[in-house]
Amino acid sequence: MASIADFVSTLADDSQDPGAHKDFPLMPEGEAYDMGHAPDGTPLFDPRILDSHEFMRNPYPYYRILRDHYPVFHDKLHNTYWVTRYDDVSNCYFDDEGYNTIPKGSSSGVLGNTQLELSGIEHRRRRNLYGQHLVGQALKARVPSIQRLARQKIDDWDTIDDENVVSEKDGVRTVALGAAFANEFPIRVVCEVLGFPEEARSDFYYWYNSMMSGLGGSETHKQGLEARQHLEDYVEGIVAERRDTPTYLYDQDGKNLGKDIISKLCESKVDDDFLSTEEITSNITLIVAAGGETTRGAIMNLWYLLLQHPEQFAAIQQDDALWDAAFHETLRHSSPIGGQPRHNSFDVELQGVHVPAGSLMQMVDFSANHDERIFKNPETFNIFRDDLYSGKLLRSGYRKDGRCSHMAFGVGPHLCPGAWISHQEAVEGSRILNARLKNPRINFDKQPKDIDGKSLAPIGLISVRELHIDYDV
Amino acid sequence: MSATQPSDIIYGRNGVAITKRTGRGGGYRNYEVHQRERVGESTEQIKPLQLISPEHLHDPYPLLEILREHYPFYRDWLANAYWVTRYNDVTSLFADDPNYETRSKRWYYGIENFGRDLREELPVLFAQADGMDTHAEPLAVELASQFAGRDGTDLATEFAARFPLELLTRVLDIPRDDRARFVERYWRMQRGMFWDPLAQQAGRDAITELTAYFEPLLETRRSAPGNDLVSTIANLELDDGPTTAADLVATLLEGDHETLHGGLANLWFLLLTHPEQLDLVRSERRLLKHAWFETLRHSTPVLSAQRFARHEVERFGKLIPEGALIVLSAAAANRDPRIFDAPDQFRVDRRDVCQREPRGMYRADGLAAGIAFGLGRPTRHPAVPEDRPRSLYALTRDAAVTASNVMLETFHEIRLSSKAEPTLQARRIWEMHTCWKLPATLTSS
Repeated sequence: MASIADFVSTLADDSQDPGAHKDFPLMPEGEAYDMGHAPDGTPLFDPRILDSHEFMRNPYPYYRILRDHYPVFHDKLHNTYWVTRYDDVSNCYFDDEGYNTIPKGSSSGVLGNTQLELSGIEHRRRRNLYGQHLVGQALKARVPSIQRLARQKIDDWDTIDDENVVSEKDGVRTVALGAAFANEFPIRVVCEVLGFPEEARSDFYYWYNSMMSGLGGSETHKQGLEARQHLEDYVEGIVAERRDTPTYLYDQDGKNLGKDIISKLCESKVDDDFLSTEEITSNITLIVAAGGETTRGAIMNLWYLLLQHPEQFAAIQQDDALWDAAFHETLRHSSPIGGQPRHNSFDVELQGVHVPAGSLMQMVDFSANHDERIFKNPETFNIFRDDLYSGKLLRSGYRKDGRCSHMAFGVGPHLCPGAWISHQEAVEGSRILNARLKNPRINFDKQPKDIDGKSLAPIGLISVRELHIDYDV
Repeated sequence: MSATQPSDIIYGRNGVAITKRTGRGGGYRNYEVHQRERVGESTEQIKPLQLISPEHLHDPYPLLEILREHYPFYRDWLANAYWVTRYNDVTSLFADDPNYETRSKRWYYGIENFGRDLREELPVLFAQADGMDTHAEPLAVELASQFAGRDGTDLATEFAARFPLELLTRVLDIPRDDRARFVERYWRMQRGMFWDPLAQQAGRDAITELTAYFEPLLETRRSAPGNDLVSTIANLELDDGPTTAADLVATLLEGDHETLHGGLANLWFLLLTHPEQLDLVRSERRLLKHAWFETLRHSTPVLSAQRFARHEVERFGKLIPEGALIVLSAAAANRDPRIFDAPDQFRVDRRDVCQREPRGMYRADGLAAGIAFGLGRPTRHPAVPEDRPRSLYALTRDAAVTASNVMLETFHEIRLSSKAEPTLQARRIWEMHTCWKLPATLTSS
């Protein structure tokens, strides 16, 4: 550069990278787009990728860059610190005081004041109010009704008059697993557990969908808030009734299983005060939101992955107990939940990065589950892997004898309280599906393809939206 | 900048040392902290993605109007920030040091402990003021003489971008042969602080190169000081040790030339696209100073400033959590119709803008001034005591007005080249909003 005049003349060149939007090219699955390198060869990470379509469908090579080179990545575009290694994520999850849960993302608008937002003792005692209905004996008592709802959903296939959902030709039936089963099944279970009357269930499904789409703080946010308001108005009436007259759940034989969750919440006290209707609604919205989309995603991803690995699917036919391992490996490989936000209560230094108190720190479960420091060949779906723990879920997590639990349910005080019931739904539902579906295989023509136009699209960050399965009638 | 004191390392469950905690931070808050948004508070008129869209980088004012008029305290979930857009809110938060902090550019770079920012040292302030006052006019005359007799001149680069950079090299007295290289490094360093990893890498390299460059120069001027800013810094006596090249580079990094560059470019963009205003200025030369103020109000180059809540604060009927990022939008506040009459109009003889250096709370004269964040705070010494130089506001204004006045003196006609369609634009999110191409035809007097 000979002179300042020469230098400033380069500034008029508007071919420079124009700004926050960049259309990142779609890469083959597992390969990262080259975002540049430091002189020492360290790959650079462009935070704009996080908003891109490429990242949604092919996130794991980018998470690998973060884990290997920026385990705590200060993303100044989103004002966020991304925490991506298994050990760091699990340590932060356990440290409820150092990494607290307020103030949350946009879910607070729609879901309201839920357990997700609380820390410490406030969290503990409220969580126990309903957590106890989703585990142990209470859960065992619900298994038959979960099975009954699954059978009902499948029985309904014979009467569905929609080519896009169920069709039949030459002895082969094609069913859209989402529309015909997985979208609604978990919501039905939730309604049953909550003891919602039959006639409210279609409203309920609408509220659920609106609230889920309103979570992003986007233009659908208002719809989400309205749905939440309608739900609250509706629940208010139910709560008013059940505060006086509790309702009960019964099994097939008419045996009393005890009060439903709402009736239990109606008589629960914290600090000698009954829970307000708002609190009860918030807890219900949380159960609905957490119990719907996640379990749906788990079922869809499980079948998508299993049907692409026929040898593993064949092994399950021989050994029914393998469904548990398949469920856990699915959640490790392609979890429906990406992670949880935390805010550090103190100035901390994590992986050499100084994080001022109150910063948003995103714990990336997706990345922790693919941490090769914990799981060998993390991108491979393998229900027989010997480094994944797939026994009974523990709040303390599991790390022993070279086996670790996956991070899809989190660990520590905020471990998903619905983990056990969603496990039952996915596994029992899949067993029943498996018994009905003869020789199931993916209807290749109807599924979206990867960029090569040949192989099936990767699951990426959002669960499989629809899965068309052919089976012999 | 938060003070960090080393304290115990806390070991995580898996024996991994994760947490070095300091005394700051209030621990976790619980139940009462949460405020649910209600249906009426939904912000469906705007999508967060729009705020980083190319259209917004080009013309931010339509979206900012939506924010200012409908969501004066807008929660941007994508950028994890709160936008403040009304004039009185912006100025009051900007002046509210007990509750909000500005983080240094070194923090954005992740090099908080690099060097010392010497911008508040009195000798530095004086050297800067002397340098700018001494060199502004001769430099402008030199540039104008180069433009004379040429077919066309791009005022955005050849004048507005070049003048502040040339001025800086003279204030620092960079040897003539090193100037071009210094300017290129300085530019890279200033651009690298935000989210772009390539720019940040280039900026880090520039910081290293500049530090290496200044080390011998600083030593030379320690023994043989001249009348320039580098010599002043070299011979500064500080309690915590002699000054280093890192101090000098940190001081350069924390300061900036953006407002002088962007302000000059925007001033001439506005004058050339509003010829009747240019005629006004020509007929009454004192209005040039007002045109500068009006430019900073109407089209401020530095669109916003980032502040962080030092602790939980209650404002706007909300609890702002500790550490929250607040985006103070000068661009939105400067077009606040509650403050300025017909705010979208560029009028150099406007009567509702403060016509002095804004002091204290931006209300010298009792009138609001256009907010220009690039200049930092209005002076903390409203009376401008004798032992202090003029504020950066005044220095920048005088440099810009002097240079522009030389242009008006040298050329009796300055107009946009035919077919030119200049626009303002921020090239990247968070970068300054200014004119990058302004082809003009200059006719010598």
